[in-house]
Amino acid sequence: MRRTTAVSAIAVAATLLAGCGVGSKSSSADANKTVSTTAALSGSITFQTWSLKNDKFTPYFNTLIAAFKQAHPGTDVNWIDQPGDGYPTKVASQVSTGSLPDVINLPPDIAHSVAKTGNLLDLKQNDPTLATDYVKSGLAAYNYQDVSGGSQDFGFPWYLGTDVSYWNKTMMAKDGLDATKPPKTFDDLVAQAKIMHDASGGKDYLMSRAPGLSDIANTGTKLLTADGTKFAFNTAPAEAMLDKYTAAYKAGYLPSNVLDNSYEGNSTLFSKQQVAWTTGGGNLITSLQQDNPTLAPNVLPSPALDTAPLYVQGLSVSSKSKNLPLALAFAEFVTNNANQTAFVKLAPGFLPGSAASANDPQYTKSDGTPQGDAAVIAYQDMQTAVNFTPPIWTDAMNTILNQEIAKAMTGKETSKQALDNTVNQANALLTQ
Amino acid sequence: MRSHRFYTPWLLMLPALVWLGLFSVWPAINTVTLSFTNVHQLTGGHFIGLKNYWLLWHDPHIRDAVLNTIVFMVICVPLLTLLPLLLALLVQRNIRGIAFFRTAFYFPVIASAVTVALIWKWMLDDRGLFNNLLQTMGFVHKTVPFLTDRWLLLLSAIALTVWKGLGYYMLLYMSALGSVRRDLHEAAAVDGAGTVRRFWSITVPGVRGTMILISVLIAVNAMRVFSELYILGGATGGVGGQDVSIVMLVQQAASGSDGRLGYASAISVFLFFLTAIPLLFLTRLNKNSQEES
Repeated sequence: MRRTTAVSAIAVAATLLAGCGVGSKSSSADANKTVSTTAALSGSITFQTWSLKNDKFTPYFNTLIAAFKQAHPGTDVNWIDQPGDGYPTKVASQVSTGSLPDVINLPPDIAHSVAKTGNLLDLKQNDPTLATDYVKSGLAAYNYQDVSGGSQDFGFPWYLGTDVSYWNKTMMAKDGLDATKPPKTFDDLVAQAKIMHDASGGKDYLMSRAPGLSDIANTGTKLLTADGTKFAFNTAPAEAMLDKYTAAYKAGYLPSNVLDNSYEGNSTLFSKQQVAWTTGGGNLITSLQQDNPTLAPNVLPSPALDTAPLYVQGLSVSSKSKNLPLALAFAEFVTNNANQTAFVKLAPGFLPGSAASANDPQYTKSDGTPQGDAAVIAYQDMQTAVNFTPPIWTDAMNTILNQEIAKAMTGKETSKQALDNTVNQANALLTQ
Repeated sequence: MRSHRFYTPWLLMLPALVWLGLFSVWPAINTVTLSFTNVHQLTGGHFIGLKNYWLLWHDPHIRDAVLNTIVFMVICVPLLTLLPLLLALLVQRNIRGIAFFRTAFYFPVIASAVTVALIWKWMLDDRGLFNNLLQTMGFVHKTVPFLTDRWLLLLSAIALTVWKGLGYYMLLYMSALGSVRRDLHEAAAVDGAGTVRRFWSITVPGVRGTMILISVLIAVNAMRVFSELYILGGATGGVGGQDVSIVMLVQQAASGSDGRLGYASAISVFLFFLTAIPLLFLTRLNKNSQEES
C-alpha cells in the first residue's frame, strides 16, 4: 500500500512537472513568415485596442473599419477592446492560450515580451516602405536587440507622445527668475532651483521629482552593454547626476515627500502652483485653459531638458494569424498618415507616428500663442526623442531602481552603491 | 427505517469538494509545482529544481520582508486579541446609547481596506491631520515622518490594522461572553474578588477558545499583510523598499508582462511554511490549555 502511494505520488509529481514545460511554444520561424501583399484580401480578422472603446473614439473606429471594408469587399474586422487595467496579464493569457488577436495594439515593452515568444510578425521584411513611412524614433522602439539581433521590427508606430517643459512665469518672476530664459540642462535646473529656494525661503520649488532611468540616460550613459543583453548604467556620470539630486534634496530644493507615497506628482504640484516647472504633452496649456484658467496665462513652454523621452503606442501583427495578408493590410491602413492624423486629432497631446505628418503645418508652424508654440516644440522634440526604457527593463527592475535611488537620496547608501546594486539586481533578474 | 446508499453523503458533499478542489487544492498544488520552474507570464519555462529557493535565500529584500511581517504579526496578535475583549466587555452593558458605540466600533470593519488606508495616508502625511495637531499643540517642531521612516511606517500600518480589526473581533467576543456564566461572577464578587481578578480568573478562561481562534485568524492575516503597507508605503514598499512584506514581494515578482511566476510561487510556498509556525504554536497552546483544564 505504502509502495503504491509512493509510486502514485511520483507519477502525479512527474505529470505536473512535465506540464510545467508546456507553455507558449513558438519559434522565430513564425516571426519570419513572408506575407503575400498582392493576393486579393478576403475573410475576417480580429483587431484589439487598449482602452479605446468609448464615446470619444468608438465613432472613429467604426468609420475606419467601415472604410476598410468598403475598400476591400468581402473582408470583415471584428474590433475588440480591453480595459486599461491588467492589459499585460490579458495579453499574456492570450499568448499562452493561442488566442492573440490578428492585429493588436501593444506598447513597446509588452510587444517585446510577445516578440520573444515568436508570436509577432516581423514587419521589416513584409513592408518595404516601413523605414520611410514612419517616424524613426517610433520604429526604433519596436526593434529589439535581443530578438534576432535587432534585425526585425515588430510594431507600426501609431500614436506617440513626448514631453515639453512648462514654466510658471509668475512664480519664477517673483523669485528672481526669467521664464523666457528657462534652464536648458540639468545643471541649469539645479542652479535656478537654488535661486528659487533661497528667494522664497524654501516655500517655492522648481524641481519636484526624483530621478529615473531617463535622467541616467541623459547623462550620456548607455543603459545597456554593446550587445544589448545586460545593464551597465552604473557609470561615473550617472553617479555624479545622482549625487547632484541627493545634494539638491538635502538642501531642500525638492519637496520632502518626492520619495514617499504621499507625493502627488509634479504636474499636480504645478497645477497647485507649488512648483514652477513640470513636463507634459504638447496640449498642456490648452488643457489648463479649461481646467485651471487662472494658471494657463502664466505658463510658458520650452523644449524638454536634454533629450526628450518618447512614449509610443503601436500596432503589431500576430505571427499566428490565420489571415496574415488581411491583418497586415489592416494594420498598415490604420497607421497610414491620413488615418493617424485623423486619430490624433481626437487625442490632443499625442502626435502621429507617420513620417508624412512632418508636412502638416499644425505640427511645424506655431500660431504665435504659447499653446501653438508648445505643439510645435512637442513635434520637434519627438524627432529626436528616445524611448529610454530598454525593452528588457521590467516593472520589478523599476521598483528596484526607485528603491535604490531613494536610499541614495536619503543618505542610506552612496550613489555608487545605489547604482551598482540596481545594475547587479537587474542583471540577476535577466537570468531568472 | 430505510438506510441510505453509501454514496449519498459523497453526493451531498460533491459541490463543496469540487469547489475546494478547483479553487483551493489544485491552485495550491500548482503553486508548489510552479515554484520548481522558471515560468514567466508569457513563457512556458521548465523545471529548475531548487533554484528559486536558492534565489529567495539570496534575495536582498527577503530579510526586510520577513522581519517586517514578523514584527507586524508579533504586535498585532496580542493587541487584537486583548483590546477587542476589553471593548466587548465595555459595550455588552445595557446602558442608554450603547448601540451607537457598538455601531461606531464596528464601522471600520465594513469600510474597504483601501479606502481606510487612503484616509490614514492623508492623516499621516507631512501636512496631514496628525502632524498638524502635533505641531499646533507644540509636541513637535519638525514634521513626524510617519510615511518615510521605516519603523514609523510599519507602526502606522499596525495601528491602522488594529483600528480596522477591533470591531470584528469585538463582535466575536460579544458572542463568546454570552456563554460565560454570570453566577460565577456573582459568587466571586461575594467572595471579594475585584474586577481585575474576575477578568483574569473567570472571563478570560471563559472565552479562551475564542481567544485562540482570534489569535490564529490575526496571525494568518498578519502574515499576509499587503494592502495597509502598499497604500501607506507605495508599490516600492516605503522609501528605499524597507517596508515590504512577503506578499508584496510575491506581487512585485509576479506583476508585469515579464512577471516571474515561478519565483513568486516559491515565495508563496515559503510564506505558507512561515505561516504554519505560529499556527502550530497556537494550536499547541490551545491543546495544552485544554489538557490542563
